[in-house]
Amino acid sequence: MSSDGHILLVPTPPPRPPRPSRWKIVLAILVVVLALLGAGSTLVVARVGRPLDSSPLVTTASVSDEASEPERLRRRAAVAAAALDKVRPRGTIIVVDTFRNRLRLYKDGELLRVAVCSTGTGRVLRDPRTGRQWVFDTPMGEREIINKRKNPVWAKPDWAFIEEGYLPPPRDSEERFDDVSLGDYGLYMPEGYIIHGTLFKTLLGRRVTHGCVRLGDDDLEFVYKNVPIGSRVYLY
Amino acid sequence: MAGDSPPDPARVVSLELEAGLVKKPQVYLVLDPSRRALEVRSRGHVLDAITLAGIEVVTQQPLLGAGTPPAVPVPAIWIVKSGPGDADREIIAPDSLRPMPKEGEEEEEEPPATPAPPGPTPTATPVPEPPASYRARLDTGWDLWVCEALPASGFWARLTAAVRDGWTRLRGEGEDLPPALALAMNSDDAKRIHHLLRVGMPILVVAGAS
Repeated sequence: MSSDGHILLVPTPPPRPPRPSRWKIVLAILVVVLALLGAGSTLVVARVGRPLDSSPLVTTASVSDEASEPERLRRRAAVAAAALDKVRPRGTIIVVDTFRNRLRLYKDGELLRVAVCSTGTGRVLRDPRTGRQWVFDTPMGEREIINKRKNPVWAKPDWAFIEEGYLPPPRDSEERFDDVSLGDYGLYMPEGYIIHGTLFKTLLGRRVTHGCVRLGDDDLEFVYKNVPIGSRVYLY
Repeated sequence: MAGDSPPDPARVVSLELEAGLVKKPQVYLVLDPSRRALEVRSRGHVLDAITLAGIEVVTQQPLLGAGTPPAVPVPAIWIVKSGPGDADREIIAPDSLRPMPKEGEEEEEEPPATPAPPGPTPTATPVPEPPASYRARLDTGWDLWVCEALPASGFWARLTAAVRDGWTRLRGEGEDLPPALALAMNSDDAKRIHHLLRVGMPILVVAGAS
């Protein structure tokens, strides 16, 4: 109340917020410091790193500028095109895809047949006596059919015995000759590779051979009857 | 003929390089960046073709201040110096060899420790499936990196990769890789050319349409 009896209204100051406890302040500071340390450490580690960075392929011409000599360019192009044309496959060709295990037969560019086949495992066999190695790959590249036979007989090489854990018999031993495993027909390529039949029909479509190309009976007969000697075979 | 547009010098050189390759009965690869195509060829004939999802140059760069990636001179022939087609092979090596049993003799077989379980006849041991991402070293010193996806290029992805690589390096396990030409393709295509990337495989990188 004032001195003359009036009631004075004194605004009540707003309540002061409670002061945070000392521990909360320390904790907040600690969190901030740790966050800064963490970010700093991350940046330091990131500076050391050499991540992979990809950028668009930019090519530069590795040729001399012969734009001013078109006639020379035309002659060179004609020579190169002629060289390519000379070796380009024609007529009947076989293409063997060793990953998908498919044999495709073409005649004059037309696809005649797609056959499921089996090709080489790619495994390596080592002779424990000598260390000699055989690689069971179906070869890559161009080959030629050099011979065809009905009821082919397999002259078993040394690896056929070593793989089973046996010593190879003499060259003229009867055990060397197998007239069953190759099926009804054989189309021979150089270095002993053959397109032949198989007893293991369920394994067609898989990489299970020692390098030869195996076909089922019907496909083999079709290929045998439609591929002349001299036809090219492309294996990849 | 007069009036014909002059041939592209790079295209002519590409033809000449391929004319050199077809002298041998070999398989070779043709990479055409403009068409994003990788072809398997022999004697100029296309045996198989793959469409690429992307082609980029991949180099190891610091997070900040990355340098300019090198340009690739084309057309050119690269040769695979070492590749997964050579390394990933299973080796069969019998411990010893025994004589073939004579005709009429039966080989003594040790009785199995446990009887064979009933069921279908076992099939041939499957050949391991190739990976869908791998590198081949080229004679140029570069790598050819076959992958399903190119490295992410966003800032946060690069920061994460930088931290991961930096931590690996601080542990002494970091690896410095040469620049690589990355070919992104689907996993099936990557697996089916895996065996082609072996020592000596030529890769013709063409310029312009081929």
